[in-house]
Amino acid sequence: MKLLRLAGRKTLGRWLRIPNTLLAVAALAGLFASPANALPSYARQTGADCASCHAGSFGPQLTPYGQQFKLSGYTDSDEKGVKIPLSAMAVANWTRTSKANPDHPENFNDNNNAALQEASLFLAGRLTDHIGTFVQGTYSGIEKKSSLDQMDIRYAQTLKLGESEGIVGLSFNNNPTLTDPFNTLGQWRFPYTSSDFGFGYGPSPLVESLGGSVLGLNAYTLWDKNFYAELGVYNTPSTGTLNALNASDAGKFSGVGTYGRLAYVKDMKRDNFSVGLFGFNANLQPDRNDLGTSNNYRDLGLDAAYQFLGNREHIFSLNASYVREWQTLNYAYANNEASNLKNNLDQFRIAGSYHYNQTWGATLGLFDSRGSSDSGLFGASSFNNRPNTAGYLLQADWTPWGKEDSWLAPWANMRLGIQYTGYTRYNGGSSYISGTDDSGNPIDRQAKDNNTLSLFAWFAI
Amino acid sequence: MKSSQRLLISALFAASVSIVSNNVLASGNPKNGADVFAEECGDCHSTKEGKSKKGPPLHGVIGRKAGSFADFSGYSDSMKQSGIVWNEERIDAYISAPKKVVPGGKMKYDGLPDATSRADVIAYVMSLK
Repeated sequence: MKLLRLAGRKTLGRWLRIPNTLLAVAALAGLFASPANALPSYARQTGADCASCHAGSFGPQLTPYGQQFKLSGYTDSDEKGVKIPLSAMAVANWTRTSKANPDHPENFNDNNNAALQEASLFLAGRLTDHIGTFVQGTYSGIEKKSSLDQMDIRYAQTLKLGESEGIVGLSFNNNPTLTDPFNTLGQWRFPYTSSDFGFGYGPSPLVESLGGSVLGLNAYTLWDKNFYAELGVYNTPSTGTLNALNASDAGKFSGVGTYGRLAYVKDMKRDNFSVGLFGFNANLQPDRNDLGTSNNYRDLGLDAAYQFLGNREHIFSLNASYVREWQTLNYAYANNEASNLKNNLDQFRIAGSYHYNQTWGATLGLFDSRGSSDSGLFGASSFNNRPNTAGYLLQADWTPWGKEDSWLAPWANMRLGIQYTGYTRYNGGSSYISGTDDSGNPIDRQAKDNNTLSLFAWFAI
Repeated sequence: MKSSQRLLISALFAASVSIVSNNVLASGNPKNGADVFAEECGDCHSTKEGKSKKGPPLHGVIGRKAGSFADFSGYSDSMKQSGIVWNEERIDAYISAPKKVVPGGKMKYDGLPDATSRADVIAYVMSLK
């Protein structure tokens, strides 16, 4: 998930004044919150092939069966012997941008970079009949550091009330939206991998920017197979805890952050759909050395998904979300970081994909983020003081394994792909301020200069 | 109507239903059934001999006593004690309403209401070599 990347560095960092606060979260979301995928440890545990849980035989786009597995606490099994819940993953890529990036990661070139972007170890699978895990530790080959990336430890069981029944569970996790079973919200939406040498997808609401910097306890249910509800409470760990996990510091919540989710889902086997609502509210004190005043973020979103599975030869999916964030920037405004006390952010994302024979895939995605005009927050990076960023994504991929009869199943999976990101707008318009020259004059850069071509190889064992 | 007449009518009705059902089953198309299997069954059941998933393998299920596949331990007590020996009619009844045929069973499946689709998927399972 690379939702804030460089646009975030140039805007949200100033917005919150403290580079190590939400900016760090942005970097964390962009650089370290790696995509999780079809983990072979789950395949070994269940006896199911990757294609049973994931459209296109590779994660994280879940089928209803995969959603059920997740909501059941990662505990379903083929009941054959003891399974070791360990997996590993690596993503390597080569990236070229239309114009060299002067703000490139340290120790890399300003263009045409090849890298082992990340390598992860997972504790992923059933620990008891009702407790299972998805815990990912990741080494970033870009930042040259390791961190606790994703954590979702679940308790789940089936509950029957009269004639109706459902799954009920608890999740202890470190990322709002990590817990979601659909592929529409921040952690799990397309693109499922993207280059750290790219330019991201514009500013994101807070609910998508906290991965690794918070700890939360969520209660959820999928009732009668149709009604999904989730309520979570999040808090920010101490700096000592964050340091121990090598996680970035988003600042300190005043009170707790609250996350809510409602969805209606209908699985008709041949195809399925879901429609939902989600929301998040938090008061964030961005500087732990200056507590007392906080910025308030209220996020409210809509999402919808449709998936045609049929006999799995031709799979189509469509995932969309819209989020509005209302910001009351008491801290940033009082510290002259923001020109407005109140701002809004709107984010729209949609992606449609097709997979043939669970092997060949093509995906088109659109991204569009728009925010209030605020010279204090965005004036140094935007000619019109807005963070608006929009564009499109094209991806083609090949997943030769992951089926029941595949070579090395269920021990390994692989996806090779090519991805192109095109920008129609970046930091407010078709051109933006990418920095200043030695004389202090703004450097003009075109949005299309950020267009990014990436080849990637993604492995899991 | 005398009870003997009612009994006769019931028997004739049952026989006719059975004949119709058997005719539908006999007309099952295994090629279509492969698609039905992929849509309805394949996530949880393998057609490979001896391979369990969340459910037991369906290769060789005809003639098998319910809950008896030795290399699968996920059966419910209800399934093991059902006394069912799988044949076309039993499978047809079971997959049309699993919870009614085996109350307390573990299979999380609401059932396949379409008789033709059931006949097709049964024909496919029977065709597995």
